[in-house]
Amino acid sequence: MLQCIFLLSDSGEVMLEKQLTGHRVDRSICAWFWDQSISQDDSFKSLPVIASPTHYIFQIVRDGITFLACSQVEMPPLMAIEFLCRVADVLSDYLGGLNEDLVKDNFIIVYELLDEMIDNGFPLTTEPSILREMIAPPNLVSKMLSVVTGNASNVSDTLPSGAGSCVPWRPTDPKYSSNEVYVDLVEEMDAIVNRDGELVKCEIYGEVQMNSQLSGFPDLTLSFANPSILEDMRFHPCVRFRPWESHQVLSFVPPDGEFNLMSYRVKKLKNTPVYVKPQITSDSGTCRISVLVGVRSDPGKTIESITLSFQLPHCVSSADLSSNHGTVTILSNKTCTWTIGRIPKDKTPSLSGTLALETGLERLHVFPTFKLGFKIMGIALSGLRIEKLDLQSIPPRLYKGFRAQTRAGEFDVRL
Amino acid sequence: MFNQFSSTAETLSKASAVMLRIGTDAHLYDDPEDVNIAPLLDSKFESEKCEALKRLLALIAQGFDVSNFFPQVVNNVASHSSEVKKLVYLYLLHYAEKRPNEALLSINYFQKDLGDPNPLVRAWALRTMAGIRLHVIAPLALAAVGKCARDPAVYVRKCAANALPKLHDLRLEEHASDIEELVGILLNDHSPGVVGAAAAAFTSICPNNFNLIRRNYKKLCQILPDVEEWGQILLIGTLLRYVVARHGLVRESLMLSIHGLDNNGFCEKDDLVRDLTLDKGDDGNSDSVDSDLVRVVSKCYIEGPDEYLSRSSFPDTVSSVFHSKETTSIAHNEDVKILLQCTSPLLWSNNSAVVLAAAGVQWIMAPLEDVKKIVKPLLFLLRSSTASKYVVLCNILVFAKAVPSLFAPHFENFFIYSSDAYQVKAHKLEMLSLIATTSSISSILREFEDYIKDPDRRFAADTVAAIGLCAKRLPTIPTTCLDGLLALVRQESFAGDLESMDGEAGVLVQAVMSMQTIIERDPLSHEKVIIQLFRSLDSIKVPSARATIIWMVGVYCSLGHIIPRMLATITKYLAWSFKSEASETKLQILNTTAKVLISAEVDDFQMLKRIVVYVLELGECDLSYDVRDRTRFLKKLLSCKLACHEPADDSVAQEKNSAHVVEHVFGRKLKPFSPSAMHDRFYLPGSLSQIVLHAAPGYEPLPKPCSFVFEEQDQLSALDSQRDAAADLDGSQESSETGDEDGSSDYDSESSIGSEFSSNGDERTISNDANDPAAPLIQISEISVSTDQEELRSKRALDLWLDEQPSTSSQTSSALNSNQSSYAKISIGDIGSRVKPKSYSLLEPGNGNGLKVDYGFLSEVATISPLHVCVEVLFENSSEEPIVEVNLEDEEAMKVSDSSEQTLVGKANASYNNVPTIIPMEEISCLEPRQSAKRLIQVRFHHHLLPMRLTLHYNGKKVPVKLRPDLGYLVKPFSMSIEEFLATESRLPGMFEYSRRCSFTDHVKDSRMENGKDKFLSICESITLKVLSNSNLHLVSVDLPVANTLEVATGLRLRFSSKILSSEIPLLITITVEGKCTEVLKLTVKINCEETVFGLNLLNRIANFLVEPSSSTTS
Repeated sequence: MLQCIFLLSDSGEVMLEKQLTGHRVDRSICAWFWDQSISQDDSFKSLPVIASPTHYIFQIVRDGITFLACSQVEMPPLMAIEFLCRVADVLSDYLGGLNEDLVKDNFIIVYELLDEMIDNGFPLTTEPSILREMIAPPNLVSKMLSVVTGNASNVSDTLPSGAGSCVPWRPTDPKYSSNEVYVDLVEEMDAIVNRDGELVKCEIYGEVQMNSQLSGFPDLTLSFANPSILEDMRFHPCVRFRPWESHQVLSFVPPDGEFNLMSYRVKKLKNTPVYVKPQITSDSGTCRISVLVGVRSDPGKTIESITLSFQLPHCVSSADLSSNHGTVTILSNKTCTWTIGRIPKDKTPSLSGTLALETGLERLHVFPTFKLGFKIMGIALSGLRIEKLDLQSIPPRLYKGFRAQTRAGEFDVRL
Repeated sequence: MFNQFSSTAETLSKASAVMLRIGTDAHLYDDPEDVNIAPLLDSKFESEKCEALKRLLALIAQGFDVSNFFPQVVNNVASHSSEVKKLVYLYLLHYAEKRPNEALLSINYFQKDLGDPNPLVRAWALRTMAGIRLHVIAPLALAAVGKCARDPAVYVRKCAANALPKLHDLRLEEHASDIEELVGILLNDHSPGVVGAAAAAFTSICPNNFNLIRRNYKKLCQILPDVEEWGQILLIGTLLRYVVARHGLVRESLMLSIHGLDNNGFCEKDDLVRDLTLDKGDDGNSDSVDSDLVRVVSKCYIEGPDEYLSRSSFPDTVSSVFHSKETTSIAHNEDVKILLQCTSPLLWSNNSAVVLAAAGVQWIMAPLEDVKKIVKPLLFLLRSSTASKYVVLCNILVFAKAVPSLFAPHFENFFIYSSDAYQVKAHKLEMLSLIATTSSISSILREFEDYIKDPDRRFAADTVAAIGLCAKRLPTIPTTCLDGLLALVRQESFAGDLESMDGEAGVLVQAVMSMQTIIERDPLSHEKVIIQLFRSLDSIKVPSARATIIWMVGVYCSLGHIIPRMLATITKYLAWSFKSEASETKLQILNTTAKVLISAEVDDFQMLKRIVVYVLELGECDLSYDVRDRTRFLKKLLSCKLACHEPADDSVAQEKNSAHVVEHVFGRKLKPFSPSAMHDRFYLPGSLSQIVLHAAPGYEPLPKPCSFVFEEQDQLSALDSQRDAAADLDGSQESSETGDEDGSSDYDSESSIGSEFSSNGDERTISNDANDPAAPLIQISEISVSTDQEELRSKRALDLWLDEQPSTSSQTSSALNSNQSSYAKISIGDIGSRVKPKSYSLLEPGNGNGLKVDYGFLSEVATISPLHVCVEVLFENSSEEPIVEVNLEDEEAMKVSDSSEQTLVGKANASYNNVPTIIPMEEISCLEPRQSAKRLIQVRFHHHLLPMRLTLHYNGKKVPVKLRPDLGYLVKPFSMSIEEFLATESRLPGMFEYSRRCSFTDHVKDSRMENGKDKFLSICESITLKVLSNSNLHLVSVDLPVANTLEVATGLRLRFSSKILSSEIPLLITITVEGKCTEVLKLTVKINCEETVFGLNLLNRIANFLVEPSSSTTS
């Protein structure tokens, strides 16, 4: 089981240590870790399980903060990784983001949360809604109060009743004057376009995100019009497996507030909403590059915040790029970003320019991959449609809302 | 103006940052010591206390030691504010072990809080109390846990379950059964939350106590979907282990589908395999299920890869291990059915660890045709966080290695995104090359073409290697691959001109290597490709790529019709370019020219000979001495060839021999292509060990199939267990026999003395064990010990450091002596009498009115329980008065009867101790002046370092005394053969291995005294004597150095083995000697043991007693 958790800032400073068992882990292991990650290349940093001379280290990196957990014995590595992810989620939810200052400024809350989330190296309470009842998140009121009175406890005196119930994700009997429940389909499109311009792979990864503010103990049923298109799915613990198995209906008692009800994947899509046509010719030490971006099949809604970013190969010594729409930036690490925004009606956005190769190189033999970003509000590109959302007992003044959006996930266009 | 604006923006952002930080604890973290903390802690305002504690926590967070505030902080534990309480607890847990005495002060408050009506307060108190790792309060904490395990609040019960591993971690042997009982109670809880935590406790406390699971197996399965995700992960593993231990593997499952059951008439299994194959539309490709690999995988799961691989040289014994009785069928077994039913919906879990655990169960237990339902959920996990993506891929790789057809239709999932981390890319490539089929290979190769142009050249090189692998697996594609690779080589050789392109060289080398592996399979049909490669030699500049091609020149020099005709030109070119090559290439040129010469035809021979002579001359004056050495070697070797004028001229008789050698070295043809042997290690899916590819401490393979049989079962199972026992007995006999054999085979070699001893020892121990129950308790408490018994005892203590046995006939022993005269000199009486267990003083005569009490540890196994140690106590009356009523008693036991305020402790102790910690001795009614008496007591130490408090009664007085444990006697001899020893040692590397160096002087006196004796032997003897006089070990072997000088003892190695009394964990000791025989020796003592703390302590103990000069030998 886990013995210790360290939070490291992006400069390698140990911001926080929390010993979990009697077998203390010296913080020198963080120094070892940091030395290794500096001396070795990036591949060490992306290695989630590391066997150090004394301990096994699990690491995840979130927003520049490295979460390290140490263990000396066999344990499921995914459990450690998932737990660290959960800690990161909860912390960023509590602190409204994650960065070095936020962690340091709220270190007491971080300590209290960690103490509640893990006991003797085994996760104890990880359900955000219960945690929120036990340890109050910092908010403006409590901050002001602590400035004025000098004292504001954020530790609750009473045990949240959800902590022991058979629906541990739901606090008991929340009360709302107006009952609201929102369902969002948030989809990401993953696609690969190969160097011949062929769509090799195109699929949608989607999440059903809910925000439920319902009084009492509601029992919800959500059904889709076309559940057969779903290839893979994962459910929040609140979803009952039986009804899904028998007739593909989601039946559940929702947690309070925002949560992710399910994630799904729809495969083998035929079309992308946006096309990218890159071209490159190289001759005697210079390359001419031109990229066209346009709408391939109109989804019926505006495509927003289109961006195209790519990494210039090492052998490019300088680049001169310009576009007829949007802005192009080249960072010092040779990352180019072309921010297009919306596609104008009258012209096709194009990027063109020349790349100067290092002396001695005639032609370019390695080619960058373009990463496309876009966002479309109001439509789920997978075609998944929600049929209806039912409540077993309908409370007064019920409001139900549905939304959808699609954005680019891993969208690679290879040159 | 622009500047001005930016500065305003900066101040604005600063201001907003300050605003954000108001009301947070920022100032406390930034400057925790800007006020004096101590007075704040004693303040009467909660808010000030709170601030002080926050400052302390800030210091802890930054890595400072603030344990000096401990007493003050402990005082605040009584606070009513929940926040102060929480902060105090956080602080307490951080430092409790450092300040045990002060921590004890807080116990009363915890006791009080445990009775609080608020469940949160109870839970906190329990968590903190169990977290304070003090042996003293362990009984109290255990009582508290017992109470909380029946608490009405679920949260408290959950915390109770979490507290159990903390107590277990303290190694309270006497409470072990109580802790396990509590685990059972909590596993039986009706709340899923508690069951999850209890499953975690079960895994870390008693993972093999399947009786606890059996009682509520069905209920656990039903509750599984409702358990919290973290509990699910461990509960799934527990249930799987239980089912395997109870029912064995499933006959229809993948693990057994391939082997072992042919005699049972399970013909349909072949159909199943075929179905699976056809199902995948695999075009009749042979490798839908890699049966060899599946066998290895299933063996590894059951036995652990280290054990399996260590004996994998006997494949015949492997395949017959699974008996049909150790397997079960899903159709008839309810338990297996339920397990599969309740884990399959978990494949939809949101938590990737749960999905992987559930997939592991299906993989091992599910019928062959159901295994494929784990594929999609596993692939979906690849869309989760980057960290878990890597772990999942590692596991999928194993599945795919065994059954490539499972993942073959889903190859698109492994296409690589530019944002993947390098390791993920590498794993995906391996995956793609594993699962490529004839139908998918074209799309995969097109992807590979894209990857080769990736800016990350290391990845590109890996891709090229993957192409080679694909071509190796699929016989139809090599031509396409080779053409592509050849084009790549040509292109790269231009790009590779540049010095700056460090990555390019890698791609090029890999391309040439891949081509070589493809060509190797069928060189004849790829003749043209080989020729093209030779032609490209001029443009390729990277030394190792050149070296590979030049090597191919040598190997394929007589292939086909065209190559032999080109040879002259190529060798000329090589000779010409020799000077400018890197030394790696030079070596290869030398070899190749030699090979070419040997296979040369008549017409070219003279010219080739001239070239070779030229190259050899160049090589002799080379700067690198590797090249010079190689040249001289070849020159000598080729002398005969170079001397004769015709290639087939073997007429010179005396040189025939060397010609033969030359033929052998260079004329050898390549072996035909064969699949490489499998040396992969497989650990259970989802385990840490599978990721780091070594057995992590605490890793356990699946239990032996059907190893768990419970008493309530009918006679059949009783018979089964008898059969098992018989099998075990057979096994042990076998092992002792093999030990014997090994001993005799080592007999003639000079490097082993001990193995033969130990094999004798085995038999002896067996016979002793057999006699033990029948024989009465050995009466060593008699004052005058008969010489026989003395001898027996010393023999046992030595654990048979003997070469003579009283039981064997004198003939054999003499034969033995004559055979192995080098160590026959060590006579048993010699050592037996000289081994004197060390004695310690319990009571000095000065303190005890003339009563002197000494004690020493015996190596006998205690009769009462294996946890007890026999201690011989010697009472001596050195006064002039007789002393009456001498007795020793446990202090704790006294207190119970005496004091009433200690009832709680007493009760806890009394109820949880079914075996007393001390078996008292027989009272000595009267001890006359100058008389002495020996008594035997059996003691169980609570901790291996802490002394035991006893009360000594005499003359009606009570004197408290402390009985200190001797670490050397908290282990027991564990006989094993040298092979077993080495195998066990190899399983305990890294953090389980620790060594210390010390000096040793005892032998100096010895070797001076007995000049006639072999020095090595006397050294061995004195070390062994020293070790065995101070600890209870088994001598496994003695390795003598194979050295020409008799003066240097370096390399002498003694191995001892033992088991820790309390935990039965094996502990291995290796002592390596360095230095000269007559001088002070340097010893390196190395211990391999899982129990790190105990091992380290014992190591120190051994090192200490080895150093201290022995007094017994001089006397």
